[in-house]
Amino acid sequence: MRFHDHETAFRQAAARLSKRDFLMRLGSGIGAIGLAGVMDQARGRSIVSAASPLSPSPPHFAPRAKRVIQLFMPGGPSQVDTFDYKPLLAKHAGERPALVDRKSLRNTKNGLMPSPFAFKPYGQSGKWVSDIFPHVGECVDDISFIHSMHTDIPEHAGAMMMMNVGALQPNRPSLGSWLVYGLGTENQNLPGFVAMSPRAQPRCTLANWGNAFLPGACAGSYVNIAAMTPEAVMHNLQNTHLTPTAQREQIDLLRQLNQTHLERRQYDHELEAGIAAMEMAFRMQASVPDVFDLSRESPATLALYGDTEFAKGCLLARRLVEQGVRVVQLSLSIDDYDIAWDTGHENIVDGHARLAQACDRGIGALIKDLKERGLFEDTLIVWGGEFGRAPTSEGAKGRDHNHYGYTTWLAGGGVKGGYSHGATDEFGCSAVEDRVHVHDLHATILHLMGLNHEQLTYRYSGRDYRLTDVSGHVVHNVIA
Amino acid sequence: MKPSAPTSAGQLAGLTATPLWRWQVIVRPVIGLAMAMAMGAPPSADAAKADDLEFFESKIRPVLVTHCYDCHSGGAEKLRGALRLDSSAHILKGGASGPALVAGDPEASLLIQAVRYQDEDTAMPPKQRLSPAQVADLESWVRLGAPWPEETAPGETDGSQGGAPAGYDWKKWRAEHWAFRPMAQPLPPAVQDTTWGQGPLDDFVLARLEAAGLRPAPPADRRTLIRRAFLNLTGLPPSPAEVAAFVSDSNPNAWDRVIDRLLDSPHYGERWGRHWLDVARYSDGMGGFLDAEPLPEAWRYRDWVVDAFNRDMPYDEFVRAQIAGDLTPGEVGSGVATGFFAVGPTYISDGGDPEAQAQARAETLADRVDTFSRAFLGLTVACARCHDHKFDPITARDYYALAGIFNNTSTGLQPLAPPDVVSAVDAAQREIQEIEKLLVAAEADDDSQGRRPELRETLKRLRQQAPPAYARAHQLAEAGTSDLPVAIRGDLRKPGEPAPRRFLQIIAGETPTHFQDGSGRRQLASAVTEPANPLTARVLVNRLWKHHFGEGLVRSPSNFGHLGEKPSHPELLDWLATSFIHHRWSLKSMHRMILQSSTWQMSSRHDDAAFAIDGENRLLWRMPPRRLEVEAWRDSLLAVTGELDPTRGGPPTTSLLESTRRTLYASISRNGDRHPSDDFLRLFDFPTPRSTSETRAVSTVPQQYLFMMNSPFMRDRARALAARMATKTSPDHEHITFAYELLFSREPSPIEIELGIKFLHAPTSSPDERLIVYAQALLSSHEFRQIQ
Repeated sequence: MRFHDHETAFRQAAARLSKRDFLMRLGSGIGAIGLAGVMDQARGRSIVSAASPLSPSPPHFAPRAKRVIQLFMPGGPSQVDTFDYKPLLAKHAGERPALVDRKSLRNTKNGLMPSPFAFKPYGQSGKWVSDIFPHVGECVDDISFIHSMHTDIPEHAGAMMMMNVGALQPNRPSLGSWLVYGLGTENQNLPGFVAMSPRAQPRCTLANWGNAFLPGACAGSYVNIAAMTPEAVMHNLQNTHLTPTAQREQIDLLRQLNQTHLERRQYDHELEAGIAAMEMAFRMQASVPDVFDLSRESPATLALYGDTEFAKGCLLARRLVEQGVRVVQLSLSIDDYDIAWDTGHENIVDGHARLAQACDRGIGALIKDLKERGLFEDTLIVWGGEFGRAPTSEGAKGRDHNHYGYTTWLAGGGVKGGYSHGATDEFGCSAVEDRVHVHDLHATILHLMGLNHEQLTYRYSGRDYRLTDVSGHVVHNVIA
Repeated sequence: MKPSAPTSAGQLAGLTATPLWRWQVIVRPVIGLAMAMAMGAPPSADAAKADDLEFFESKIRPVLVTHCYDCHSGGAEKLRGALRLDSSAHILKGGASGPALVAGDPEASLLIQAVRYQDEDTAMPPKQRLSPAQVADLESWVRLGAPWPEETAPGETDGSQGGAPAGYDWKKWRAEHWAFRPMAQPLPPAVQDTTWGQGPLDDFVLARLEAAGLRPAPPADRRTLIRRAFLNLTGLPPSPAEVAAFVSDSNPNAWDRVIDRLLDSPHYGERWGRHWLDVARYSDGMGGFLDAEPLPEAWRYRDWVVDAFNRDMPYDEFVRAQIAGDLTPGEVGSGVATGFFAVGPTYISDGGDPEAQAQARAETLADRVDTFSRAFLGLTVACARCHDHKFDPITARDYYALAGIFNNTSTGLQPLAPPDVVSAVDAAQREIQEIEKLLVAAEADDDSQGRRPELRETLKRLRQQAPPAYARAHQLAEAGTSDLPVAIRGDLRKPGEPAPRRFLQIIAGETPTHFQDGSGRRQLASAVTEPANPLTARVLVNRLWKHHFGEGLVRSPSNFGHLGEKPSHPELLDWLATSFIHHRWSLKSMHRMILQSSTWQMSSRHDDAAFAIDGENRLLWRMPPRRLEVEAWRDSLLAVTGELDPTRGGPPTTSLLESTRRTLYASISRNGDRHPSDDFLRLFDFPTPRSTSETRAVSTVPQQYLFMMNSPFMRDRARALAARMATKTSPDHEHITFAYELLFSREPSPIEIELGIKFLHAPTSSPDERLIVYAQALLSSHEFRQIQ
């Protein structure tokens, strides 16, 4: 059959070309689900598997984690009221030691303010955790806390960009899109990267999960948990006017029309990719609503997570990674406020207690659920905001931004449990021991996923870009 | 690169695996060393032991180079603390705080105290603490007596004057890199087959084909040709009547007449202007939180571009207008063209933190320099923002020489009216506002009740008499006449040496003119379009070629530097570029020349033998078939269903999928999250307008088919097409033939008719419904999305 001759020629040509040339040549490649990933699925064979940005791609070295769930806490959770226990704050309440006198535009001129919350030790590791995080407290033996985080600026938008795209402006690819670019994804019927939040999207919205100059297929698909309909998950997912049978007939007709065209054209790789993509689209009409359908969960599981919107996101995150989605970013928001933890300005007691209540149980449930299903060992959980808050008071009960020191924690794939890395000074103001910049955190996340952050590059606008720009050191101490 | 991807080009082997900046920085001292040796530096009388020197080279020098030399070496943009760490003598001499080290005594050495971060003020390196292992190595090295090989300190022998670092051999670059060489005026090559070509362009192509043992594809048939020309030049398919007329036109000038008609059509500017808008990263603003401003008048720049293409504005004039059009004396509206820069992203900080503000400013300037240099010159000057360009002869001073020009400009809404009209309108409006205030006050004050009717009356009269508001556009304006210093590591708060505003040294030479006329934009505009500039014309004709043949002769249209691709047909590129200038930079002349060539008129037929030799079709053995851009596809859908609204210009539509206007008129949010149509456009490979785009991706994803199968937009088009087909009261095969001529400019094959009749007659749903479903399949077909 003629077709096979062309395919042979195509394959020979492909073999002569390097992957990059090949992508260039397809012109596509750099587009989205390139043809081959599609072909793989649809026909059980691959002509050029390298050409699909979404088809699974081998890491640089053996990974410790295969997927990431980022629990993003926009607004800046206060470290000394959550996981960085500083008993000296009570002793020196109201004082203003030189240590906290850091250059900052922020309103941090007052004296030290003790945490309004009690702390107690949890687990075998005896890690002290604030009373507002009892469920996370129960999981401390599975967690590596990084107490020595620091970032570049104490402003939300820029610092959020640093956390999620590794630069202060919203014009770089997001962490999740880099991971999908580097590793592809396991389920070709779902997006490789899903970003979610209840109601408000985190500040800078799309940039937090965007692909910037990476191939479009690497971008996160955003899902609003509050308005969770299949249509919100993916546009045009449902056909409102044809029965599945009638639609099948239409697709078969189009397939035949395209195939007669193919015969006249003799050879056209794009057309073949199109036929396969159309078949996948047909299947996605069922598979996408399925994965977002929580009614398929057992009552016991639903009870474990509880009924907050964030917990629903945690459960969805588990369903998504279970189905092979590479990266899930779940951002906390309450009251339609995009930088929820910023309520810490006025009042740590009410603001932080409510926020912790909104997410604590869901996070604890997620860790337990992943462990029960054997997914915990190769799923990396990253918890944290864009910066922390000052140990001094703002007004009577609040705390202002602080980028000199804060806490982020990791759990799951390849991460030590019951471990604390680095430290802030005795009042929890600045990271002083084993400091970890956001670039270092990114380097560590990529490392756990089997990627060398210096080698994961993309040539654009005349130079090679990296998530970690020109910085980044892997924090080996947190790796089990 | 992605993991496990083989390196693409030999020249890059090893480079991509190492962070580029580090690699390059490390190379510099080696060059210095090599030069010192070549100059016959005397061997050291007191040479340190070989082991110690090896320790120095493997553990110490890389740390110094990577972490210290940006501020503490002869090559530093600005030396900090008067301290150099690039020679033993300099280290021992020390800087502002005294000697940097005491050989043999780490505890007494300032360098060691600094890297230990003992004191916040002297902690070094400032941004990133060294690893404990690196600190320990430095301690060991000091303990060893700080051994250093004998050499001349770099920076002392490179004779750098005027900022030219020793790394660039300017003359060599100008002589050897194809894009910097003066444009040649090559003669068309001799060809064996003298019957095929219709002009020099064809000779250049054919000579290469013949040399490779390839034959050009046969000429395309007339239906294919006219369809290709319509889609290519106007982004709309020909009507069946237009196809029939051309097919039966035996006049030898028939083809020329088609070309002329299409180039005269206002749809030409709508199609080709859009290509330029990709380069101009055109959007209506709304770039998300740090770049959130909407640009409600951006469409005026879009309309200016479309109009410039339709009027065939000479390209050199087109370029100058976009850089400095606002400076044309006495001409109202000439500044709209500077929307090229003004519609770009303008970043802010969200809290006034000085670091964040400097960063936002730096990022905005980077957009201007990047867009300017890639769009007009095909050079990636923005790579030189933090250091000299790693691959091309572009210094950080070049970057700041250009950034300084844009730093002297502001962006904002400017009136499109003569000054007297502006002042009359403004005065009238001020008067109205004053009366309004009085009226508000009178309404709040019972005592002034009696004045209210009078005030209302006055207000009414003033409003009636007020001259109509003038239009405004986002433009550049002059805002300074100063130079910017080089910013150390790209940080505007750390000024280095001055960088007088001027054009790029590689083009302007070693004694470039200092631009001191206002912001410097006027001089910059002249420098870009100076005929001796070897880049501007080459870059533009290559973009034209790309839109006619799918790929440019240079496949990296906005990067003509070392990392860009070399031209497949360098002589043809130069011949086109010189012809272009000769034709007074007329794009329409170039289109004519290209469309009249046998090369353009080839069929897109596949050929096994040719494919085996040149699978990428770099030599152009056929016209490559290609996907229509989303604009042309959506516009064609509306055209064949008879629904296209041909209204031109004006404010954009925010609901594209409910509109029947051309896709060009959609409102584009830079962040891609403002309008429902943002998703639609990006799904079909519309570029992200955050930075200049040289080419569009061609992706095939299931979501595109979800759109074709399920969207209300496609269903509506299918209904409209079905209605058109149903007006034919004749048998089914005539419905089908009618649709094929409308959609594909051809008749259906017997198999296609059979398929259609079978589908339309299936009993599973009503005949009307089947016709709609059939119409939707035709509209979703692969052939409809292609130019062949």
